[in-house]
Amino acid sequence: MTRAWLCAIAVAAAACGPADRGPRFRAAGSPTPRAGGTLRFAVASHLSTLDPTIAYDEFSSFVLRPLFDTLVDLSPDGTAIIPRLAERWQVSPDGLVYTFELRRGIAFRDGTPITAAHVKLGLERALTTADSPFTSFLGDIAGAADVVEGKAPACAGITADGDHRLVITLARRNPTLLQILAMPFATPQRAEHIARAGDQLRRLPDATGPFELASWDEGNRLVLRRNPHYFDPARAHLDAIVMLENVPRDTQFQLFERGELDSAEQLAAPDYLFVMTEPAWQPHLHRTVVLNAFGSRMDVGKKPFDDRRVRQALNYALDKSHTARLLNGTSVAAHGILPPGMLGRDPELAPYPRDVARARALLAEAGYPDGIDVEYVTARDEEREKVAASLQSDLAEAGVRVRIVLLSWSTYLTAVGQRSGPAFSYTSWIADFPDPANFLEPRFHSRAIKPTGSTNDSFYANPELDALLDAARQELDPERRAAMYRRAERILYDDAPWIWDYHRLTTEVTQPYVRGYQPHRIWLRDYTSAWLDVGPDGAPVPR
Amino acid sequence: MIAAIARRLVWTIVVVWFVVTATFLAVAAIPADPARTLLGPHATEETLARVRTHYCLDRGIAAQYGCWISQVSRGDLGESYRSKRAVTAIIADRIWPTAQLALAAIALQLLIGVPLGIVAALRRGRWQDHGVHLLALLGQSVPAFVAGTLLLYLLAYLWGWFPLGGYGTGGWDRLAHLALPALTLAAVGVAYYARVMRSELIEVLRADYVRTARAKGLPERAVIGRHALRNALGPLVTLVGLDLGVLLGGAVVVEVIFAWPGLGREIWQAIFEVDIPLILGVVLVSAIAIAVANLLADLAGLWIDPRLRAQ
Repeated sequence: MTRAWLCAIAVAAAACGPADRGPRFRAAGSPTPRAGGTLRFAVASHLSTLDPTIAYDEFSSFVLRPLFDTLVDLSPDGTAIIPRLAERWQVSPDGLVYTFELRRGIAFRDGTPITAAHVKLGLERALTTADSPFTSFLGDIAGAADVVEGKAPACAGITADGDHRLVITLARRNPTLLQILAMPFATPQRAEHIARAGDQLRRLPDATGPFELASWDEGNRLVLRRNPHYFDPARAHLDAIVMLENVPRDTQFQLFERGELDSAEQLAAPDYLFVMTEPAWQPHLHRTVVLNAFGSRMDVGKKPFDDRRVRQALNYALDKSHTARLLNGTSVAAHGILPPGMLGRDPELAPYPRDVARARALLAEAGYPDGIDVEYVTARDEEREKVAASLQSDLAEAGVRVRIVLLSWSTYLTAVGQRSGPAFSYTSWIADFPDPANFLEPRFHSRAIKPTGSTNDSFYANPELDALLDAARQELDPERRAAMYRRAERILYDDAPWIWDYHRLTTEVTQPYVRGYQPHRIWLRDYTSAWLDVGPDGAPVPR
Repeated sequence: MIAAIARRLVWTIVVVWFVVTATFLAVAAIPADPARTLLGPHATEETLARVRTHYCLDRGIAAQYGCWISQVSRGDLGESYRSKRAVTAIIADRIWPTAQLALAAIALQLLIGVPLGIVAALRRGRWQDHGVHLLALLGQSVPAFVAGTLLLYLLAYLWGWFPLGGYGTGGWDRLAHLALPALTLAAVGVAYYARVMRSELIEVLRADYVRTARAKGLPERAVIGRHALRNALGPLVTLVGLDLGVLLGGAVVVEVIFAWPGLGREIWQAIFEVDIPLILGVVLVSAIAIAVANLLADLAGLWIDPRLRAQ
């Protein structure tokens, strides 16, 4: 009876559904960016803090980026370093000394000038704050370890030479330093503000960027407004940016369709398919290849994965076109961990093709003519479960009988990364900054093998690869670096510590009147330079 | 009487302690490392070790439990791993939205459920009774995630009568935001109250004093209003007490679907993030709410029914 009722209601609802689900508004057609207005978007979870030294949530950069400027920034495609608070910088020929000249006229949100000492303090906080996830990023700076261990109060390798010059001296070369300094945690900070804010620092961001915090009703609604003291007023056009928190994904799209949000991302599958097939939405779709890699890791120290032929067999057994179809075409097939467009990614290298016969032959060669029985651990989530089921059926054809074990995300995170953890499991990597070192070193360098918290959770140790990655880290010439990473990719392709599966694209749809916006490859939804092409009264123009 | 209340109070404290300790053990048994969950897959061994030491996670379960209990006895519920905010501050923020939702749901349950029950009892066996029966069946059997999603889709998205979830800004806007989650939450209660009211009233209408009232010529309205209804309402008081306790602990599914910023949604997120101090804090508050509501319901029962007092 209940089911009959539900069906009846659903049918009635479908019959009453809106016939036209295209955009309700259009761009007004302004030739130049229009100042003013509020851009609204939503996220499915919540922010835990606005303290740049600690904030590391999935959504942090959406608000941290407009709030906090850094010495340098990454261009929207993630390939170039662009100046922000630093007007220019110089790297010594040996690659160990970085000298930054700060811009004149840069200020905190209350107009207090930003000096080199403030930048130094911001960086040192990442070294002295116990639960900062960014500590290890600064490990190559001279004297950083002493600060972390509490042996020195200040970092010897970071010096303020007057108000406008900052010198960073490295103990070891690190060609990714500029990219690290582009992360919001490297923003200037004031000791007075930190002391005054006390335990409220997480709610009181001392803005240095084009926007400042107007209000934050935690878990519900965060409002940014334009920072009147920002040095480059032409960079931001909006009066305000509103982020709604904890809005379920399907509700986000409904709000977007009703015109109550200006952008929607991470759409649920039905909404995604609708947007992809509705021509009127096509010009307002933004598809971005972000810095990630997905696949399945194998513990190369455990049977049967200790045999390279088994690992290769599994790579041959997987049909990547199945995954692509399951993900509605929001992925590209992977041949390694480096995503398209990344320095050192070898475009010549083709992903492992599906070859069941070859997979069976390799397994037989490795001493498993009857196939193998393996357990596959993945985290409970719609997408991961679908991908695991697809892998299970693909591998079965090659004689690999997979038993899927589902864990919660937190249990999964704890289980992998230690030797006693599962031998075969789902894995993914989302880079912090666009450099191959940020993919390859944490995942495959033997240095990243630790007793309980290995980011190299395949426990893959190859002296040849280690040497190559170490040499690439010391190499300052981008061409030669790229060649080294290409060789590293080749080694990993053959040794196959992962089943390389796919790189995920993000799809975002914006209202037709949102202009000047391009999702950032690293910071993703950075609306700093967006503007609203609406009517003179500030209201969107109906279509 | 006072001894009975004192006994109940002591039991309440024991029950709350037991619930919280059981939760502590259950959370400790989860094979998930809060430090790892907090820092994510990029965390290095050194950072993990620093965070574990910072939150006493490198000590044994007994030491962690002792640490937590001594904190609680000082009125400090610790700080959330995720947001570094005092758990008491988070709960203080979240309890009012939950209380509004709970009170609105109970009001709806009473306002809709009781009249339906009365109608069903008075029109027993007729179409009105069957109608109420059907509604009750529907209310009790449709899970909140289905009812909530359907209400949200039809009344908010399609017809635009209500906002698409959220908390609103206060006043009428808050009421508009409250309507659908309260209705979803009340659906089960309405059905249950209607059934309880119906069976109680039918029982009471058979009682001797009702027959006496009718025999002495009282009009039917007075018989029902003054004699039958009053006696039939007793069990409802207990029900309201129990419901209030449960609802004050947060309605997880409804709060998540409607993006309502209450305790239910908070604990749902805390469990995902293995945010142990926050989980324990919310459980503590929920346990206290249920225990106290039970106690009050018992006391109200004593106050209403002289027969119980005599016992």
